[in-house]
Amino acid sequence: MEKKIGLYICKGCEIADTVDVEKLVKVGDKEYKVPVIKTHEILCSPAGVEMIKNDISAEGVNTVLIAACSPRSKHREFTFPGSVVERANIREFVSWSQEPKNEDTQALAEDYIRMGVSRAKDSELPEPFMLEELNKNILVIGGGITGMSSALGAADAGYKVILVEKAPEIGGWAAKMYKQLPQSSPFEGLEEPSAKVTAERVTSHANIELFTSSEIEKISGFPGLYDISIKTSGGTQQRKAGSVVMAAGWRPYDAKNLSHLGYGMPNVITNVEMEEIASKGKILRPSDGKEAKRVAFIQCAGSRDSNHLPYCSAYCCQTSLKQAAYVREKSDNSIAYILYKDIRTPGQYELFYKKMQEDPGVMLTKGEVTGVSEAPGGNLYVDVKDTLLGSDIRLEADLVVLATGMVPNTRIDADKLAEWKGIFDEKLKASGGKPDPNAKLEPHKVPNILNLEYKQGPELPILEEAYGFTDSNYICFQYETRRTGIFTAGSIRQPMNMLGCIDDGLGAAMKAIQCVEATATGHSIHPRAWDQTYPEVNLQKCTSCKRCTEECPFGAIEEDAKGTPFHKMSRCRRCGTCLGSCPERVINFKDFSIKMVSNMMKNVDVPEEGLRLLALVCENDAYPALDAMAKKREKIPSAIRFIPVRCLGNLNLAWIADALSRGIDGMMLLGCKFGENYQCHFIRGSELAKERLGKLQETLGRLQLEPDRVELVQLSISDYDKLPQILNDFVEKLGEFDPNPFKEF
Amino acid sequence: MSEATLIKPDIDFVKGVIAAGGESLKKCYQCATCSVVCNVTPDKNPFPRKEMIWAQWGLKEKFIGNPDVWLCHQCNDCTAYCPRGAKPGEVLGAIRKQTISQYSKPGFMVNLVNSKLMMPLLFLIPAIIIGIFANFTAPEGELVFSNFMPVHYIQLIFVPAFMFGAIVGLMGMMSFFSDMKKAQGISSGNLVGSIKALIGDILSHSKFKSCDVSKDRYLSHLLVFFSFVTLGIATSFGVLYIDILHVDSPFSLFGKGAIVKVFGLIGAIGLLSGVFLMISNRYKNAGKVGLGSYFDWLLITIIGVIMASGILSWVTRSAGLAEAAYLIYFIHLVFVFSLFVYLPYSKLAHIFYRSAAICFNKYSGREAAPGR
Repeated sequence: MEKKIGLYICKGCEIADTVDVEKLVKVGDKEYKVPVIKTHEILCSPAGVEMIKNDISAEGVNTVLIAACSPRSKHREFTFPGSVVERANIREFVSWSQEPKNEDTQALAEDYIRMGVSRAKDSELPEPFMLEELNKNILVIGGGITGMSSALGAADAGYKVILVEKAPEIGGWAAKMYKQLPQSSPFEGLEEPSAKVTAERVTSHANIELFTSSEIEKISGFPGLYDISIKTSGGTQQRKAGSVVMAAGWRPYDAKNLSHLGYGMPNVITNVEMEEIASKGKILRPSDGKEAKRVAFIQCAGSRDSNHLPYCSAYCCQTSLKQAAYVREKSDNSIAYILYKDIRTPGQYELFYKKMQEDPGVMLTKGEVTGVSEAPGGNLYVDVKDTLLGSDIRLEADLVVLATGMVPNTRIDADKLAEWKGIFDEKLKASGGKPDPNAKLEPHKVPNILNLEYKQGPELPILEEAYGFTDSNYICFQYETRRTGIFTAGSIRQPMNMLGCIDDGLGAAMKAIQCVEATATGHSIHPRAWDQTYPEVNLQKCTSCKRCTEECPFGAIEEDAKGTPFHKMSRCRRCGTCLGSCPERVINFKDFSIKMVSNMMKNVDVPEEGLRLLALVCENDAYPALDAMAKKREKIPSAIRFIPVRCLGNLNLAWIADALSRGIDGMMLLGCKFGENYQCHFIRGSELAKERLGKLQETLGRLQLEPDRVELVQLSISDYDKLPQILNDFVEKLGEFDPNPFKEF
Repeated sequence: MSEATLIKPDIDFVKGVIAAGGESLKKCYQCATCSVVCNVTPDKNPFPRKEMIWAQWGLKEKFIGNPDVWLCHQCNDCTAYCPRGAKPGEVLGAIRKQTISQYSKPGFMVNLVNSKLMMPLLFLIPAIIIGIFANFTAPEGELVFSNFMPVHYIQLIFVPAFMFGAIVGLMGMMSFFSDMKKAQGISSGNLVGSIKALIGDILSHSKFKSCDVSKDRYLSHLLVFFSFVTLGIATSFGVLYIDILHVDSPFSLFGKGAIVKVFGLIGAIGLLSGVFLMISNRYKNAGKVGLGSYFDWLLITIIGVIMASGILSWVTRSAGLAEAAYLIYFIHLVFVFSLFVYLPYSKLAHIFYRSAAICFNKYSGREAAPGR
């Protein structure tokens, strides 16, 4: 299709006050012969939009270049279906962040027009990738409160659900309780466990196929078409699904490790054991069946303790308050002592805390329990120091309840870990202390739940410091995992109470539905949910170097027997890491390619005197940070031109070579922060860029250029206030170097 | 760690405090805002934060020999600032009531006096005692109260009644003081100097001045206090006239025993206005600190009735309304008797215990130089 570009320049939002718009028109006209160029007082106004629509229908314009505000603004106004739309951000990057009406400012705006026209020339309309076969069922793993909520959420929305539960019955911990915490206002009285009712709904739901006493044997495929093998008591069953919700739940922390708090003595029990006792009637203690009228609850038993679980499990405080109500309801003169580090009752449970506090028999103090010891008559002494009572105390209780925390089922069992370590050590011994490099004896860090057939391994990655909780980019998309189409929910993500789990299950179900629907229409899923482009590989030029398959953060690229890569496209999140990794530059998107960025760089005017700098900017964090900075009218150097990229993982060394050989004095790469606490939606894009930069040193040396001309800066979206300083420092540093010697060529 | 003391929480004590007007007790979550805003607490080991948790836990032994609950003047700054609505001021009042029973013997009298259910009995018994001596056959002739109740009967009843109240209170006070010494480990100090300083405090009402929220209580309490003193003087002159100078009542404002009348009238008006102020202050601050408990209102009522009936009996007598005058006079006597007998059991017991606590605080050296 013949391209006909229309360039539309907005004069509003201070643009006409800061640059000479007529000169911008001239750039389009004289330098690029753009057939249609128009200006408008307020381009996003109905009149402005109508003008563009007229040109599309009457003049045959099919590629629209909007020179106005940031592409992050007015997206709806500047959407013209059937036409390529590109944006030149002359509002934030010029008018709002430069001195008005000055030569450098004008030159900057003109360069944005040049880059915009160049980009518009290279950009094409996307053709969505469609799966040949698609299944919209949703697999939910785990039939606890989270999984049930997830299954019902999806099933009620009209989706077929496959629910797989390891135990013979669904309901999980929530169904094993004597009573449950209130789930609605005023959050004061205890309720009968609702999990049993929920379980009945799940069992009888027409859209839910339930597998109990079953486990996942294997999951292969990709979003939209997973092949699932389910190991049931009656043999293996095969099913297909479009997306997966993993709600594998939790187990209590092993109280055997809590002998310092008296566990092991007959009348020291855990909160889970307390539920069992209370379900049977009076609170009868294990040693002699005597009714326990003084019950001491020790909070944070093994929690927020670096020797055990370093985190807060978010449910134990409410649960102990609830169990205190058990103690109190069974006898009027009973006493429940609650010994806490801090009372933490998330959400509305502050109201329940207040309610329980008012009970004359509930006695609370902050303090550190230093020991539990035997007292006469099978009773127990609990010693507490640093209490609010003003002194160290010893109290006598009939029963001690340890409020133990939550261990996600995605964390490996200590026993199993030891077993594996044992095997490892034995083999190591057998081999004479020399580890066999081919034997994969490294103890697995994750229990097998998903059993994925993925190049990256069978399970979701667990970060070193995450204590077995699954990795989730919780700031933005808490259910997101590194395996597209697989969402985590409930207490494998973070410790949470039942209400949290119910909401979480539902939220993950909605994401799972969004995933199958996006896949069905050829859209990417989060974070580029609008995106219908996908990486296209020119396989004829592929050398099978496998760099893309190694670097793809989502396991979207696999290779066949010959080593030729192929995309499992519905796993792809369109970050373009593969595009950056490819030394042959054969991976490109319809609206984003190596050539496109190279051409944009080539179109920047490089004067013989004065600095010219380029910055590649991550669209997810750094770009919005620049917009925010401009909105605050912070002034920045006029020598830098910003080029947005999908992710710094797009960085292809060809770009740098191209830019520097054209006389560009230096380049900045503005990307996300590295490390385990990464904020990058694409996991490690900027880290990969850094790695690739390392390889560039040599090239720069050969060109007799200082390596420091290229600098990578790690930013988060909230660092907008630091940007002017960062940019000024870079310009100052480059000012100390000689001009790029390639300028003359 | 050295072996800590075994604590013995008593749920009945907790329930007792709650029943005695401390129903907000359990709301406290120990933020200590109360101790920070309190203007009368000493800096070292300030109250009422610690008292709140002791009471929540039913640690009643902590209140034996504890001066702090009595150092509190219940100005309710704490209650006004409490973020949780735990009303420490009210709770300390309730705890005080609980501790009164430990010292004002016999202890059950405290609960009897302060139980709403017992109220009819509370005034019926004095009414019977006085009724026995009174001449209900509507004395003919001159309208003189001694016709209704001869003066020697009054002395016969009221002197022992007052002595009873005062002795029980004083004994309680001494036992409290020795408990404080024991509990705080203080064996010696300057008792005379402390008493002098205490009297200075009382006369100047300096503690009341430091209150913020209920600073109006300074004036009302000052009025009530000095009115009682004035009435005491009036009574002393009465005794002087009747028993020593043998001048019979009734006295007249412009004739014999005028001085008794002058002091009596000043005291009556002062007391009435003081009580009126107390009531209106309570209503004014109710939003911030609550209206107060039965314990508070019982005393206010007794004093209010005494003053109203005192003045009314004088007015009706002067107006020659014999039946009304005798009836009102009877009520007056019943309530005065109650005030005396219930002195160590009602809120008025604070005369003994707060004085003891303030005095002890000076004696032990915990109270820093005045002017906090």
